[in-house]
Amino acid sequence: MRYLMTSLATDTAPDEKLFTEMAKFVEEMSAAGILLATGGLERGGVRLTSVGDEITVTDGPFAEAKEAVGGFALVEVRSREEAIELGRRFRRIVGDGVSVIQQVYGA
Amino acid sequence: MAAASRTVDAVWKLESARIIAGLVRLVRDVGLAEELAQDAFVAALEQWPEAGVPDNPGAWLMAVARRRAVDRIRRSQLLARKQEQLARELEREPDREPDDVLRLMFISCHPVLPTPARVALTLRLVGGLTAAEIARAFLTTEPRITGRITEAKQTIAARRLPFELPAGAELSTRLASVLEVVYLVFNEGYSASAGEDLLRPDLCLEALRLARLLAELAPHEPEVHGLAALLEIQASRAEARTGPGGEPVPLAEQNRARWDQLLIHRGFAALLRARDLGGTPGPYVLQAAIAVCHAQARTAQDTDWAQIAGLYAALELVLPTPVVRLNRAVAVGMADGPGAGLDLVDPLTGDPALRDYHLLPAVRADLLARLDRPAEARLEFERAAALTRNAAEREFLLRRAARLTGAAVPVRTLGQAAEEFLGRADLDTATLRSYGQTLRRLRLSLGDGLALAELSAAQVAAVFATAWDDAAARTWNRHRAAVGSFGAWAGRDDLTTEIARRVAPPSSPQAFDLALLWARELPLREHTLWRLLHESGAGAAAVLALNVEDLDLDDRRARSGRGWICWRAQTARLLPRLLAGRTRGPVFLADRRPGPARTPAAAELCPETGRGRLSYERAEYLFKQATGHTLRRLRP
Repeated sequence: MRYLMTSLATDTAPDEKLFTEMAKFVEEMSAAGILLATGGLERGGVRLTSVGDEITVTDGPFAEAKEAVGGFALVEVRSREEAIELGRRFRRIVGDGVSVIQQVYGA
Repeated sequence: MAAASRTVDAVWKLESARIIAGLVRLVRDVGLAEELAQDAFVAALEQWPEAGVPDNPGAWLMAVARRRAVDRIRRSQLLARKQEQLARELEREPDREPDDVLRLMFISCHPVLPTPARVALTLRLVGGLTAAEIARAFLTTEPRITGRITEAKQTIAARRLPFELPAGAELSTRLASVLEVVYLVFNEGYSASAGEDLLRPDLCLEALRLARLLAELAPHEPEVHGLAALLEIQASRAEARTGPGGEPVPLAEQNRARWDQLLIHRGFAALLRARDLGGTPGPYVLQAAIAVCHAQARTAQDTDWAQIAGLYAALELVLPTPVVRLNRAVAVGMADGPGAGLDLVDPLTGDPALRDYHLLPAVRADLLARLDRPAEARLEFERAAALTRNAAEREFLLRRAARLTGAAVPVRTLGQAAEEFLGRADLDTATLRSYGQTLRRLRLSLGDGLALAELSAAQVAAVFATAWDDAAARTWNRHRAAVGSFGAWAGRDDLTTEIARRVAPPSSPQAFDLALLWARELPLREHTLWRLLHESGAGAAAVLALNVEDLDLDDRRARSGRGWICWRAQTARLLPRLLAGRTRGPVFLADRRPGPARTPAAAELCPETGRGRLSYERAEYLFKQATGHTLRRLRP
């Protein structure tokens, strides 16, 4: 089963130590065949809103969006608990902040 | 399972391979390493629910297991000083080395182990699955899986398989054995060979993980990337290859929009890595290349069959199996027309290896249908349906048979005639069973729908040659007599005219030369046990039950129940050396102390060494390994 973990963006800039630890973690999880895809996301982006027949396209950043997603990881695991355990390890590396784990259906 | 123990279980599955592999490097014993890791797992189950999951759970488990390893070595009183030194060395060893897990895979997939044992042991040690989980995945029982694993560990210990990376020419054969196990696990999940479901996704995922892991651990081996590529691409079709009712959807009819593009890209990338490494493509790289050809075609019509047929021709050179030939025939049938395909398939019908392979008649059926020969096609579809063990596939094949019209003239078929013949009231059960076996084979090979009038002596002879050419003469003649009897009953006296009766060679009982056994250098315990069994003529169970206090060394006899077990000079010479001053407890001891999970009664333990009594099963096993015979052979 696959899970998508998204993490909310933070303002603290990552230091050298975090980079190395994160690179090691990503490498280890890829090696174990668990991490399928991962990436960071730009601030803001483009927002599309549809109302009736009309679709509005707005460029970011969005001041009102407090909970913007800053990065994601798609993992393939055997159980929800495995996904949570991986999330724990990730949070331990990045420090204060919030991540959300959701099962991906249809895959 | 409570939430906390599910967490422990998840951590265990993520970590156990590295922990066990690290421990095997430290203690050089797969069985002991697994036991120590299990102890650590149990400790986690006890402590984590209250104390919380530690920051680095893998390191925590390893630290506990390693402490127990040191304790255990310190506790054993034998060779005290040497052990102390060992324990100190062990404390200095690093927790993990990069190649540990790869070494573990080479051991668990060692070619000396029978294939089912390799599969079970790898899933257990590297995949972290429990025996119950493995049993469920392979639709078998837990005790059977446990037995396979135990036996495999005993073989590893008895053969002293080294925990080392094979080098040079040995590497490729050993690696092939590892890849085979991963491929087998995947296939068992992908085309579930039995049962109701066509897919067991858990097993596919497990195999994918093993393949990806292997690609990281052995990055310079093209075949490893080839296997990973093949599995990624096959897995990408998992969703599309079954319909809403669980029935199989053939590749050409699959909705390609449902193929998993993420996995396809991973497959492409893996194949590119294999190609970059160069060399002559091996079987997995070639199969992956074929899978990539299919994945690149946007519709079934766009498939480049000529290229696929070419790749199969190359594959046949490195992997000349009947199944590869059959697949090549399918590709040629698509590239150059059904007639060309059929020309390649027909020679395969006499191959014993494909005797029960349902895809052979299924492929023939498809080619025959495209050649507009519906009657033959229908017969072949029905045969394929009778041969498959998978319910969903059977349905599918029967539907394809039913869709073919024509040949509806009512004729007496082989199936009907056989049913009537076996339904007669004048045959006893044993005869019926024997005739039933013979006719079942004829029906599976030729098809229930074959008109009895068209059944020829040549066809019967071909079935005999494929099915029973290796059988004993008696078996051959029994089947021949059954066909004769069936033919006489059905008014077809000619059926056996092309099968000759066979003459049995005189039987020669296999000689067992004891002198040769004694001439060998034998381990002290085994040597003593076997001498004692031979000289006393007593049963193995009674001899293994002996305790040191039962022995009367001077009179060369021991109390056993109400009687005596007596021995002669050779045993008398060996016994004192075996006992080495022990005064109580079992005479014949197991190699290791029993694990904490199965602590036997005190009477079954040696009070001095803590080792358990040598079991009957183990004793038989050791003798079998050494001589190929059972212990009974030792009786005078």
